[in-house]
Amino acid sequence: MTDPDVHTLTGPYVLDALPSDERTRFEAHLTECTFCTTEVAELRQAAVKLATQVSTPPPPALKANVMAAIEDVRQLPPQVPVAASTPKPQRFARRSVLALAAAALAVAAAGGVAIDQYQDRSAAERANQQMAAVLAQPDARTVHGTVEGGGQATVVLSTRADKSVVVLRDLPRLPKNRIWQLWMMDPANKATSIGLSTGDITQLVNGSTTGMATFGLTVEPKGGSRTPTLPAAAVVPLA
Amino acid sequence: MRSDGDLLALTATGDTAAFSALYDRVAPWVFGLVRRILRNPAQSEEVTQEVMIDVWRTATRYDADRGSAHSWILTIAHRRAVDRVRSEQAAADRTDLAGARSAEVDFDQVADTVSTRLEAEQVRRCLGALTDLQRESIELAYYNGYTYPEVAQQLGAKLPTIKARMRDGLIRLRDCLGTTEGQGS
Repeated sequence: MTDPDVHTLTGPYVLDALPSDERTRFEAHLTECTFCTTEVAELRQAAVKLATQVSTPPPPALKANVMAAIEDVRQLPPQVPVAASTPKPQRFARRSVLALAAAALAVAAAGGVAIDQYQDRSAAERANQQMAAVLAQPDARTVHGTVEGGGQATVVLSTRADKSVVVLRDLPRLPKNRIWQLWMMDPANKATSIGLSTGDITQLVNGSTTGMATFGLTVEPKGGSRTPTLPAAAVVPLA
Repeated sequence: MRSDGDLLALTATGDTAAFSALYDRVAPWVFGLVRRILRNPAQSEEVTQEVMIDVWRTATRYDADRGSAHSWILTIAHRRAVDRVRSEQAAADRTDLAGARSAEVDFDQVADTVSTRLEAEQVRRCLGALTDLQRESIELAYYNGYTYPEVAQQLGAKLPTIKARMRDGLIRLRDCLGTTEGQGS
């Protein structure tokens, strides 16, 4: 989905106003577009406030029905926090980075790749496959760094495919009006924004990989910035 | 007092008392929204029941890092109600212009609690700050369950315009609600 005005679909999506085929396509797009997932999460917080206008107590009997019904309804098992069981060594061996990335992929497949919790499975599976494709490249390599204030940044990249996967884990919480911004910098330190995130994320980056020298993570005002605000929270050489 | 998020977290452990308290807290929002979209009282009760059972069933999958409990539950409710409407697209009342005009909200329906009142008042004020086209686009989609092509048809506007107005309007609403929240003004 490369329609230039695809980003304006965040509005209709949050209002559940997309016809079903467009909803499916947009949810697939969400897995690749951090900007969109962030905006969807924010606009949703605003949209749900519209319900305050129509609050109405349900008939009392309804509660008895619901309470009786749940007696027979099994709760879904919790999602096992795969990443949490991975030890957090300061130096990753190649195998453990792949394990971490695989853990991240498992989380992604369970719907963790995007901030949005309501997208359908096929979109998450597609993202999973795309990330697996980067890991499978013969020249795939991994670099990692620590994030100022806590957390790790791992980048799996393939210059041949000009793709990378950025895995951010255990990031500290940001104030409400701040957001993480992800950058790739060339050897002359010219920065290209590759996405925004409110917290931990596994982000597939199409392009912006070949010829880049450094991955950077900065804290920016909500909505992101055109150039990185320094000092960066993490700087990870890609070589 | 426990937050909705705390109650939802306890619900995820199978705590039916927490779920009962959560129900009392959120059921008026869910029922009000579902009834506004569906209109039919019997269907609205049915869908509200489905939504609340879904909350119980999937509470284990709620992730507080990705939005409030309140937002999560209302998102489930809205989508379920809208999906029900779409599956009954042929129903006569859906094409009734009188029904469409009633996108204007009856503010007296608002449940009579102080915090709800204050919040509702703020949302109402922020809605008033939107352009007519932004507000009508958002209201027809949110309260009537219209798709954006249906909204465009109803308002006699082009598709890209409606898509953009929905987004602009929500951004303005977000900013209006967000700034006043923090400053208590």
